[in-house]
Amino acid sequence: MTTSSETVVKSANDSPAEGGNTHYVKGVGHIPRDIYKYVKSNPLGDMPRYSIHIVIQHLVVFLTFLVLAATGLPLHFGDLFWAPLILSPFGGPDSARVIHWTAAFIMVTASVYHLGTIILGTLYKVQNKKFHLLHTQIPTLKDLQDIKHDIRYFLGKERYRPEMGKFMYKQKLHYLAIIWGTCVLVVAGSTLLFPETMSNFWPNPRFAQDLARLMHADEAIMAAAVIVFWHWSNVHLVPGRFPFQWTVLTGKITREHQIEEHFLEYVDNLKEMPAEREYLRSVMKEKGYMTEGGER
Amino acid sequence: MKHLKGVTFFSLFVFLLLFLCFVFVSASDAADSENCLMCHKYRFLGRIDEHGKKRNYNVDENIYNETVHRNVPCRDCHTSIQNLPHEPITDEVNCGNQCHIKPPFAKENFSHKAIIDTYNKSVHGAKSTDSDELKAAKPYCKYCHLNPRYTKVEEERVSSSTLERCFNCHEEKGVTQAYKHITHRLRHKTSRSRQEIVELCSKNCHEDVDKMKKFRVSEESLESVETYRRSIHGKAVALGSEMTADCVSCHATSKIHDIYKKDESASTVNKNNLKRTCQQCHLDVTSKFVQIDVHSGITSSEKPFLHFLEIQLGFVLYGTIFGLLGLALIETIGRKKDGIKWQIKGGTTWRGKSKRGFEDE
Repeated sequence: MTTSSETVVKSANDSPAEGGNTHYVKGVGHIPRDIYKYVKSNPLGDMPRYSIHIVIQHLVVFLTFLVLAATGLPLHFGDLFWAPLILSPFGGPDSARVIHWTAAFIMVTASVYHLGTIILGTLYKVQNKKFHLLHTQIPTLKDLQDIKHDIRYFLGKERYRPEMGKFMYKQKLHYLAIIWGTCVLVVAGSTLLFPETMSNFWPNPRFAQDLARLMHADEAIMAAAVIVFWHWSNVHLVPGRFPFQWTVLTGKITREHQIEEHFLEYVDNLKEMPAEREYLRSVMKEKGYMTEGGER
Repeated sequence: MKHLKGVTFFSLFVFLLLFLCFVFVSASDAADSENCLMCHKYRFLGRIDEHGKKRNYNVDENIYNETVHRNVPCRDCHTSIQNLPHEPITDEVNCGNQCHIKPPFAKENFSHKAIIDTYNKSVHGAKSTDSDELKAAKPYCKYCHLNPRYTKVEEERVSSSTLERCFNCHEEKGVTQAYKHITHRLRHKTSRSRQEIVELCSKNCHEDVDKMKKFRVSEESLESVETYRRSIHGKAVALGSEMTADCVSCHATSKIHDIYKKDESASTVNKNNLKRTCQQCHLDVTSKFVQIDVHSGITSSEKPFLHFLEIQLGFVLYGTIFGLLGLALIETIGRKKDGIKWQIKGGTTWRGKSKRGFEDE
């Protein structure tokens, strides 16, 4: 065992954006980057991550998404054998369409609720001088470096995973995709649902309607495929998250997951949680790392 | 010996009862006043014609009495029959014949002539300029109006309160029949379901591209079935929708038989009539709305940009899915090498030794 890398300690309150030493936390010491291999975690989550609003929004979007996919995709793939089977619990195509519109309306409502949440949350943070670009979903140059760094780590060329904030590059990518997808689906879907009104709105209704038919179907298939093949596997199936990540319901993330993939957020949390600092010190002591006060 | 007499009388009585039953069961309907069924009731009445085709001349009375023509005597339609036993029948029944049934308040006997006139003017009517092949290919009455039964349409019961008011003046049997006869014509544009209409138009004809090519129809018409099936109308109807447009909804007025090519002014899909046609279902139809392509086929010649986009979207879809799956795979392999396992131990993911070759790991 060796100590963590020798770095110059500037000040305990330096934030990463100012090029400070993120590994150092006052009251704990230099935190080794791979300490997540040794900490205890509660599968239901230890560290705060999402507010109750985000949990509710996710639940609503999750449910409406399933309903929308189950009522929409069979209509698009109507000539395949499974389409009538899936539509039958919804009462056939005529009522499935109405259910589809209702679910869409609820999902749009949830999106508006989400927009309100992040706008008000951002304003609140700006007011309390807590706002930081690196804590948001906005992609930055650092994310590109993180991707490169992380892939190098996966290939065994880097020793540690990159230090990422509350949202890592995968989540930012996904969030952008959701914004794009929602906008396309809502605009194209409205064009299909209100052809009379929207034909007065679009300069070329013939082209707009054809484009909407193409885009709504394609974007829906894309969304469903990404959710099923990527989002679910990433969140629940990969080792370390298996068999189920409860963050979506509890709003809390496990300690090891946060240190591994959201190191900067963990450090931020440490600064505000004395009990967590105490715990981390004990783990570091046990493993023979240097802690605050020079004990080993 | 006394009881034997009783048994004989009883047997005679039973026999008489049975005999009477048989006599009265086949009591001829008004429609068969000439007793054609005397021969035609036999189930194996038929022959094998010169082409080796089996022909069945049996008429099942029970079925016939359930059809729309149940009150029409045989010879009202089969006019070539003049004497009994009749000559072999060579000519088709002409649906334009007058039959001996007078509708209420009409001076003339009933006939389908008005519909046939409409039909003959339409695109499907045989024209003198048509080739023999085209004439043979064009559908006639019986092609759509299903042979051989012309069964009655399943009809919802009339509400009893409505009927009771009719009974103030009319007899129950007649008025119920008359009511049923007109109600489905009041409720729906066609008696047949939307699925049946689409089936009738596409099967054997409009979806047979090779056949349609022979008759020099437009490029658009060649693809019409395929493009309809891809449209929201077609998809919904195929899945069993009861409120979406079928072929007749847009291509004919309430006369049903007046289907024309779209460049003829009488056509419902002529650009001057589109507004009225769409208005049957869509509210607030404007001149911009009717520009929307109902039978939309995306081909490279007609809609190059959309065609290009469709191909690109396919690439994007597969690129996205395989790219993301690849990323997740690399990630999982890399993290497993660093010691993480698909195991839970004391609530924490189990981590073994890293196999990545950095010292002290």
